[in-house]
Amino acid sequence: MGTASGIIKALNSGVKHIATKRFTFRYPEQKLKFVGDGYQYDPDSGVGIAGYKGRHILFHDKCTGCQLCSIACEDIAEAIAMPKVEEEWKHNKKAIMPQIDYGKCVFCGLCVDACPFYALYMTNDYELSSFTKEGLIYTPAQLQVKPKVDQDVEIQIDEKGAKHG
Amino acid sequence: MSNQVYPKDKEILPGLQIEKVDDRIMTLNVGPQHPGSGHMRIIIKVDGDYIVHTDPDPGYVHRGEEKMAEYRNYITNIPHLERPVIHDSCNILYPYCLGVEELLGLEVPERAKYLRVIAAELNRCVYIEYWLAIYGIFLGHSTMFMWPVGDRELLIDLLDKMTGARVTHAYFVPGGVRNDVPPNFEDVCLRQVNYFEKRLKEYADVFYDNPILISRTKDTGVLSREDAIKLGTTGSVLRASGVDFDIRKKEPYDVYEELDFQTSVLKEGDSYARSKIPWLDMFESCKIIRNALKKMPKSGSVRVKLKPKPKGEDTEVYRRVESGRGALGMHIVSRGTPQPYRLKISVPSFRNLIAMPHLLTGEKLGNMPAVYWSLNYWPVEADR
Repeated sequence: MGTASGIIKALNSGVKHIATKRFTFRYPEQKLKFVGDGYQYDPDSGVGIAGYKGRHILFHDKCTGCQLCSIACEDIAEAIAMPKVEEEWKHNKKAIMPQIDYGKCVFCGLCVDACPFYALYMTNDYELSSFTKEGLIYTPAQLQVKPKVDQDVEIQIDEKGAKHG
Repeated sequence: MSNQVYPKDKEILPGLQIEKVDDRIMTLNVGPQHPGSGHMRIIIKVDGDYIVHTDPDPGYVHRGEEKMAEYRNYITNIPHLERPVIHDSCNILYPYCLGVEELLGLEVPERAKYLRVIAAELNRCVYIEYWLAIYGIFLGHSTMFMWPVGDRELLIDLLDKMTGARVTHAYFVPGGVRNDVPPNFEDVCLRQVNYFEKRLKEYADVFYDNPILISRTKDTGVLSREDAIKLGTTGSVLRASGVDFDIRKKEPYDVYEELDFQTSVLKEGDSYARSKIPWLDMFESCKIIRNALKKMPKSGSVRVKLKPKPKGEDTEVYRRVESGRGALGMHIVSRGTPQPYRLKISVPSFRNLIAMPHLLTGEKLGNMPAVYWSLNYWPVEADR
């Protein structure tokens, strides 16, 4: 009797979930919302600002070509190279800026922590797949572009249960 | 058939097992390709349906984490050290950060200590839910695979808001945490953790009180209290055998001594008890998170500013924490350079693996998955 009632109880607890709304969401059409515009770092206070660690964004008007991000990445992923750029800046005499290989990057964000000039942040963009290895290398010009994101799905909890909506 | 050449007894190649026709004992290789066994091999000898000899063969995912640590400085070690257990990455970085703080003489801000405890407990739940999902599918219970993986999403969402990554967070650093939590995180965290706890209670009916699970796991792979201590097991395996040993209680680190929680202990020592302990642990984790959110200072610094390449003194430290699997320790030897001279990781998975031959010998082959995964063993961490 104990076995039969136990199995009925187990089945019943599963059956209760047939009527509830499903917890999953349709990924490419709907996207999960993140906090803020991505991980940032304030070198004055030495503390980061919470956000998603996705693809980087580079501000050309602030980057001095000091290579600190590249040095920070040296022992981690060796993903950052410093190629020459064609533009000329007063604050960037060497005219070099980071170029990031997302085939190697581990998205730890320690390069952002290394930047003392507020020039390198991270964004909410995580869809970086490419058909070629070269397509994963983002040049300084590509890193400058602010990504377009339409992420609006959040976890909602009510008395019926949780769902993404 | 007749012209097939067998090597002579003396020339048998290593790893090649040849049996005679009238031999009762048969050798089975479980893994390393089988997705359930998880990158490790168990060489099992069976007599009919019963296991007579077990030889676990780990090492397929050895990455040389300890050697790699000797070439990187104390900060650049962080991303690669969390790779052995990406589901429990905060807890594997915890002893490293505590050790390096002791080496460099850093004082961690109070708010950072609470944030670390919250992140570690969330991560423990994420790990246990993943482990439970695999345990469910090992026993052919596909609902118990879907539910934990779904509910895990609630906590991953919180960790994502907090740290900026869904797995491999790289959140802990020597001297605190990388960033403060976003505004109104406390409310969201409380709401989702409360709902998560409600969902955990539903697991009882479908899994833990289910007669089918009980019949498969009860009285299989019994580890007595004395054997558990002698074999040096740790974590949920030790607590399922009736030994109340939890590092969070015995050697409190950060703010654990100010928080209110109990450790869960069961006396049976069988697979059922070993599978139940982590589930009970998750309730305590929810309690700790609620408690820590209440006691956490509302504002303040979360990170000590460090020099670019900090150097440790000529000394060595050993710190350990309670991870999702058991006591996880790191022994750091410093010789006054920016890199550690030696980093030894003492992993709970490897300690629990030692109990496997002891438990499986004498069991039926069909009970092997129930015993194997109840050991709370993570092959990648054991190989490090």
